[in-house]
Amino acid sequence: MEPLAPHEKLFVDTDFIENDENHGEIPCSECHGGDPNDPNWETAHKGLSKDPSYTDPEKTCGECHDHAGENYKNSLHYNLKPYHVLLDKRANPDKKVREKLNSAMDTHCLSCHSSCGQCHISRPNSVEGGLLSGHFFQKKPLMKQTCTACHGSRIGEEYSGSHEGLEPDIHSQKYFMKCEKCHTAEEMHGDGKIYNSRYDVENGPMCLKCHEKIYTDKSKARANHSLHKDKISCYVCHSQSYINCYSCHVGKDKNGISYFKTKPPALNFKIGLNPKKSLKRPENYVTLRHIPIDKKLFDFYVKDGLTQMNAVPTWKLTTPHNIQRITKQNSGCNNCHGNSSIFLLDKDVSSEEKDSNRNVIVPESMIPVKQ
Amino acid sequence: MKSLRKILLIACLLITGILFIPLKGNSDNKDQCVECHTSAKKLIQITREIAKTKPPAKSAEQEGVG
Repeated sequence: MEPLAPHEKLFVDTDFIENDENHGEIPCSECHGGDPNDPNWETAHKGLSKDPSYTDPEKTCGECHDHAGENYKNSLHYNLKPYHVLLDKRANPDKKVREKLNSAMDTHCLSCHSSCGQCHISRPNSVEGGLLSGHFFQKKPLMKQTCTACHGSRIGEEYSGSHEGLEPDIHSQKYFMKCEKCHTAEEMHGDGKIYNSRYDVENGPMCLKCHEKIYTDKSKARANHSLHKDKISCYVCHSQSYINCYSCHVGKDKNGISYFKTKPPALNFKIGLNPKKSLKRPENYVTLRHIPIDKKLFDFYVKDGLTQMNAVPTWKLTTPHNIQRITKQNSGCNNCHGNSSIFLLDKDVSSEEKDSNRNVIVPESMIPVKQ
Repeated sequence: MKSLRKILLIACLLITGILFIPLKGNSDNKDQCVECHTSAKKLIQITREIAKTKPPAKSAEQEGVG
């Protein structure tokens, strides 16, 4: 996403000050700090907080929006718990190595949090920030400027149909649905519980919330839905090919600016064994996506940082955002049955990643037989 | 005497009203923050000054998608 011009990022609309009776009347310094009486901009900004809602939303937004404020610190956008959990599993257990890893994580991975402000007032830091609309508060975050500004290279592009030969997600194409239609404010703000993965979040999106009739006589595809119920995820039949990412190396250039390097992504579609089987996700087969990770990810900071790479699959459960009612898979039984090319097989996985993906690779014997 | 009391009462009410009825917006906001951040001209001037001393936000070594 193209960053805003520097002055655009900071421009406050006088209409906001005059007409937003809830926020416009609060003196700037009450949230941001700084010295509002100092005419010298350099000294006036001393101690100023660009985003007062981070790190403690309870002291700013939470003063009035108490429910959102108190839960937000446990939400995934704030605590980034899955990053910590996965690093714990993959990291070299040596304490000194771990300290260097933590520092690298702070620089590269953990700066991608979000705050109340970075959804409702400004663009997120990862796209260089900037006020969304002259400091007007957006009750519903603007999808393209906030949600897909961060979740853009995979989710955003899939959802909008940016990949040649692929359709946009039907929810966007036909119904113009924005992210918040499925990802509710309650999910985004957190429910107070700490989750290790976004797939564990109890009030996360569920297809059946809207498509509750697919197993009844009212559904045209009742027979197929009932036949495959709890065996394959909705995405196995209804998603199109999606982006898979490979490798990632992080470091700092000669000017001290942090960077990452990833290999070119590849469009692919792979069905694998469900690595997160649970009551909520009982299916045997799910869609898997290769994530941007590499054993040498943190080599710039410390050698042998990720010695436990095999502890977690590099092909991860995924829920592609490019749903269609009719897809290649569901337009004929034998597009999946007996078609080994759409399953993640041993030969699809690089030799150094075979052990980590052992539990998600589909053995030839588990490919459903041709009909 | 009665009319004098009435006049005094009305005067008191008027003074009280002038003191306590807030103006549109908030007078506290009419500060240096508002002066600069609502003026595109001032912001352009200041952000250009800052840009001269600030390193680029993105490294030239960055490759691929995040």
